[in-house]
Amino acid sequence: MEIFDVAVVGSGPAGMAAATTLARHGAHVVLLDEQPAPGGQIYRGIETLSKRDPALLALLGPDYARGLDLIHDLRASEADYRPGSAVWQVTPEKQVWYSRAGVSQGVAAKIVLLATGALERPVPLSGWTLPGVMTAGALQILLKSAGVKATEPPVLIGAGPLLLLLAKQYIDAGIRPAAVLDTARVSKFSALRHLPRALGATGRKYLAKGLSLMTALRRSGVPIYRGVRDVVIEGEERVEAVRFVSAQGPQRLAARLVALHEGIVPSQQIARSLRCDFIWDKSQHSFRPVVDSWGGSSMPGVLIAGDGARIGGAVAAEHGGRIAAFEALQQLGKIGEGERDEAAFAERRAQQGHLAIRPLLDALYPPPPAILNPHDDVIICRCEEVRAGELRAVIALGCQGPNQAKSFLRCGMGPCQGRLCGPTVTEIFAEAQGRSEDDVGYYRIRPPLKPLTVREFAEIDIDG
Amino acid sequence: MRRDYDVAVVGAGLVGAAIAYGLAKDGRRVCLLDEGDIALRASRANFALVWVQTKGHGYPPYAILTHRSASLWSSFAQEVEAETGVDLGFQQPGGFTFALSEEELEGRRRILDEVQAQPGVPDLGSRIVLRNELISLIPEAGPEVVGASYCAKDGHCNSPRLLLALHRGFGMRGGDLLTNRTVETITAGRDGFSILGEGEEIQAGKIVLAAGLGNIRLAPMVGLDAPLQPLKGQLIVTEKVRPFLHYPLVNLRQTDEGGVMIGSSMEDMGFDTSSVVPVVANMAKRAIRLFPLLAEANIVRSWAGLRIMTPDGFPLYEQSQEAPGAFLCNCHSGVTLAAAHAGDLAQAIGRGNLDGFGAFSGERLRVQAAQ
Repeated sequence: MEIFDVAVVGSGPAGMAAATTLARHGAHVVLLDEQPAPGGQIYRGIETLSKRDPALLALLGPDYARGLDLIHDLRASEADYRPGSAVWQVTPEKQVWYSRAGVSQGVAAKIVLLATGALERPVPLSGWTLPGVMTAGALQILLKSAGVKATEPPVLIGAGPLLLLLAKQYIDAGIRPAAVLDTARVSKFSALRHLPRALGATGRKYLAKGLSLMTALRRSGVPIYRGVRDVVIEGEERVEAVRFVSAQGPQRLAARLVALHEGIVPSQQIARSLRCDFIWDKSQHSFRPVVDSWGGSSMPGVLIAGDGARIGGAVAAEHGGRIAAFEALQQLGKIGEGERDEAAFAERRAQQGHLAIRPLLDALYPPPPAILNPHDDVIICRCEEVRAGELRAVIALGCQGPNQAKSFLRCGMGPCQGRLCGPTVTEIFAEAQGRSEDDVGYYRIRPPLKPLTVREFAEIDIDG
Repeated sequence: MRRDYDVAVVGAGLVGAAIAYGLAKDGRRVCLLDEGDIALRASRANFALVWVQTKGHGYPPYAILTHRSASLWSSFAQEVEAETGVDLGFQQPGGFTFALSEEELEGRRRILDEVQAQPGVPDLGSRIVLRNELISLIPEAGPEVVGASYCAKDGHCNSPRLLLALHRGFGMRGGDLLTNRTVETITAGRDGFSILGEGEEIQAGKIVLAAGLGNIRLAPMVGLDAPLQPLKGQLIVTEKVRPFLHYPLVNLRQTDEGGVMIGSSMEDMGFDTSSVVPVVANMAKRAIRLFPLLAEANIVRSWAGLRIMTPDGFPLYEQSQEAPGAFLCNCHSGVTLAAAHAGDLAQAIGRGNLDGFGAFSGERLRVQAAQ
């Protein structure tokens, strides 16, 4: 088995910055990523786009182009970057197993650095499983990856910066969204206490960007509905309409394409499967791994950086990746503690600037109660079509928690490995049993983290 | 002494739930105590077989008990399903153990004969099936399969739903399922037991320890001994595929939901339940030799559980002499024996003596250990 100093998983901003830093300091590093090109979700397809369609790149904005620098540095470094490599198991002994072009192999590492980013919070609403309903992120990926323009003007439902950005990107691309249904319900005043902190130099840039997005959206003439609740997506074979209640009363809009977004949450799968400690983050309303100021998890030799540690955005993730890399270098004996602390100082300072906006965003866009505790008839597990009411029925019977529910209902047993129902299941337990999310816990995550054929498993060269 | 329950059953896995379900039938006040969501749970890692063919090799009482339970399973399933509305997915078409060489097949033949020849063992309906006949029954069997051992009493069910049904049925019969209630101490009093856990105390006339490996800790509190060892079993399951396999194999079966379970590795790994790549890879290799069509099926999950093994591998049912009314129940075949546990064993515990289960007391182990 190949041996590396560090195996970095994920080539988004945190993973790219970490791998580049590690390689520059002489560490033998492998960077494994599922996608065909570096960038992660945030800078997805950016290399191709910069060559093929510079106009679209310009349209996506300067924040997006920032990824090109990271990619350039990574490409120029000695890091062994392996695209198309889907990690499906990390063992406690720090063997990292991955599938590349239908063949699985493992690498051994002294340190594993997880930079697996975030995924969109599941939005279980009545009708969310109908064809024609997708996440805002998926719609944005369509836009980024091939410049494919969705044929229908989408109805955008939810809240948060990504939804605004997507609306703006669609408008700029010449497709006006059919409507924006804003589900944010917080009184803006209660969020204002976080404003002073957000007003640092970097924070102001984020605020200015947010305001300009809102202004652009308002000017575009796209209908915006505020205070939206009781959303029901209707349709037989596919989505046909959206019913909801807004500040103006009950509404119904015809729709052929719906994008949902209620923020993002840390991707938990690998750290969970390693049984790293997690904690419930009240302000971000999600689980996150317990990490120290260097990204060190509860498992020695396992570091976590970027949005996978806590949601902070792409630039904060980049700094977080470098901070974790310095810690790894110190653990490897490549640099001393003094050098580590010094190198990390500037990174921390820059990171703080980018994190300053977070408390305000978290306070402005908490997930709506309807998706945390959906009605009984709403499907919560898409793979196995389990409804919220079925879960509540076994809880009433005495079912202890998510893992027993998984066994009883097959909830979370499908190909998505519980990514899409895990957060909801924990919330429903917490609500029904009057327990904290920490106390309820989460699914045990089992390998393979990505489906793998029996053949591929059988052909693993165990001695190799 | 106040008495909250006639019987308290500790452990709501398949063994405890079946016994509690049986005990609750006759109007007894029964409670079933269980730990939290994360615990060592063999009931979530079993293979869901009702399996007879070579059980009790070397110990006829176990072969007889297994045969009896498998014979009762059909009416047991009907009763549970009628009462709870939960489909147990029970089927008893007979089961196979495939042989991939003449040597393996010869080994199967010998073991079938030896089990059947033991004194008191009823006709198990087992025999060797050669390749030609096997292919007519299971056309997808791989080219290396030379034959199989077969037993007509073998079957399988949906074991997670079995556990759900037992919990539901127990509740419907008036039992109290108390979860997140790890038992800390048990004190034997003059006319019953005081059970303390998570700050709550329960008084019960009798106590049944069905806590799997947890019995190691609990048994001494009532003058019993549970000399158990964990034996790791690795399982893998594929995505749902078209129905192709209508008989269970000892190490591979298609579930009623369509997924294929591959299992039955044996590793002595202490209390580690992690999934080990080389073990899974070897299981995958063998699965393809049994059924080449499985090569292209996706594996969606692998996990491991700990079997509860007594020193000789046979069940342990015993009443405490020091604290009568305390019963120890341990086995590694909670599915196969569920019918006997809910029936004969629950009745025996209700009566207060384990007549008919004498062969399964710890006495045999103490004799073996002394020798």
